Amino acid sequence: MRTRLLPLLAAALLAGCATQQMAGDQLARVAKDWSLGIRASQVIPVYPLTEDVQPGDVFLVQTPIEAQVAVYLDKGFLPLENLVTRLSPSGYSRFYRGWPQLDDGDRAPPRPWQFPDPASADSDFSRAPIAAFPTYSFSVSRSAGLNVAIPVQSVPVGLNLLDSASANGTITLKDAFTYGLPARTLYDSIQRWCNENEGYLKQYEPAAASGDKSSADRFYLRVINRVYLVKTVDVSLFSNRGFGAGASAQVPQAVQLLNLANATEAAKQFDAVNELLSKANASQPASVPEATAESSRSAGASVKLAMATSRSVSLVETFRRPLVIGYLATDYPIEAGGKCAAPVPTLSVLEGRAVNTGKPIEYTGCDENCQRIRTWIRQGGNQQRLETWLVQNAGSIAIADFLTGDYARLREKMVNELIEGQ
Amino acid sequence: MALQPPSPQTNVPRNDVGNVVDAMLLDSRVRWISVVFDSVSSDVERFTVTPFIKDPATNR
Repeated sequence: MRTRLLPLLAAALLAGCATQQMAGDQLARVAKDWSLGIRASQVIPVYPLTEDVQPGDVFLVQTPIEAQVAVYLDKGFLPLENLVTRLSPSGYSRFYRGWPQLDDGDRAPPRPWQFPDPASADSDFSRAPIAAFPTYSFSVSRSAGLNVAIPVQSVPVGLNLLDSASANGTITLKDAFTYGLPARTLYDSIQRWCNENEGYLKQYEPAAASGDKSSADRFYLRVINRVYLVKTVDVSLFSNRGFGAGASAQVPQAVQLLNLANATEAAKQFDAVNELLSKANASQPASVPEATAESSRSAGASVKLAMATSRSVSLVETFRRPLVIGYLATDYPIEAGGKCAAPVPTLSVLEGRAVNTGKPIEYTGCDENCQRIRTWIRQGGNQQRLETWLVQNAGSIAIADFLTGDYARLREKMVNELIEGQ
Repeated sequence: MALQPPSPQTNVPRNDVGNVVDAMLLDSRVRWISVVFDSVSSDVERFTVTPFIKDPATNR
């Protein structure tokens, strides 16, 4: 029996060699299927999986917002194009007040959990905030080659153990964690960074040539404020092959993985499979950078057979360290002069929700200072001066809000400093 | 850093709707503004003025 398992497992574990032969659309479809599952949980999927994404990462996104929606709907995920910078925002100690081990600086997440012992590559996320995901269903077929691009290697392994050309399956993301920072905290950090890098950002200001904002390609800074990680993935596969259908001409005969009539033999088979899987895992490099689809299959993961019948297998895959599977972010459009505009939640844009210009405020009337400011702002250059003052003194609130909103004391201060002070 | 987009304003009296719209349009990103009747109190008609930076009909 063991000798019959070897070619099957070898085929599964060497399936990566077939990557070059896979059609691009097959890879894209797998990526999309995976991402659509994650997206259903209101999280923007990361593909391929990686541990090297964290709150404060700033990506330069070139795709116009309309096209961005189309890409998101088509591919299921958004390519993270260019990492511009990694902010080191402080605020974890305040946001996670009382949470053990956490602090700012070198003790900021995920380091205390990622490398609790600097001398060891093993992680300990037991004290990280936990998260839970639903179980995702999927279909898989190797008619066009094994779907090795799926982010967990259990799927092709299980498919081969099932000796089936196609299967339905479920993926359960276990040992999920999350951490993040409030968007307000990151707003301050990105604001400082934008002010210090206006010269760099100016090259990405909107093209003025077209004169039509709606058609202009705009650049955005995508600032990640929360990430979701997973350490363990349970994969269950159910063969589509009917009873007694036998194997196709190109597929070896089925292996009876579990035969309860002979418990001793079944236990031996389990041990044999897990031993082979263990050896195969050990032969894969554990420290490969997880920046490509190729490496996302290994990522130091180990696969173990948990249950098997003639028509189903269940495998447990455990990554060496938790990998980021999704994130939440905020987009900052880059405006003329390299200034960063007001943030827009990435997910709101992608889901087609109306772009919120802010919560409604109560009109409080135009008092004496409001009247003075309305007259003053019409004079050359004063609008720009007021905008600068609002950025520095009033949290960048809009002029319309400032004039007739509940900001009487702020208007008085502004009149004293800008109008009376002239 | 640019200012935040203007917020919708409620209970704006008819005689000041023009000024509120004027102030909202100081933000060049604002391209659509809706003025919707809200209520009447003491013979003063009041409106909700809502700015949009994207077309609210098509979200583009």
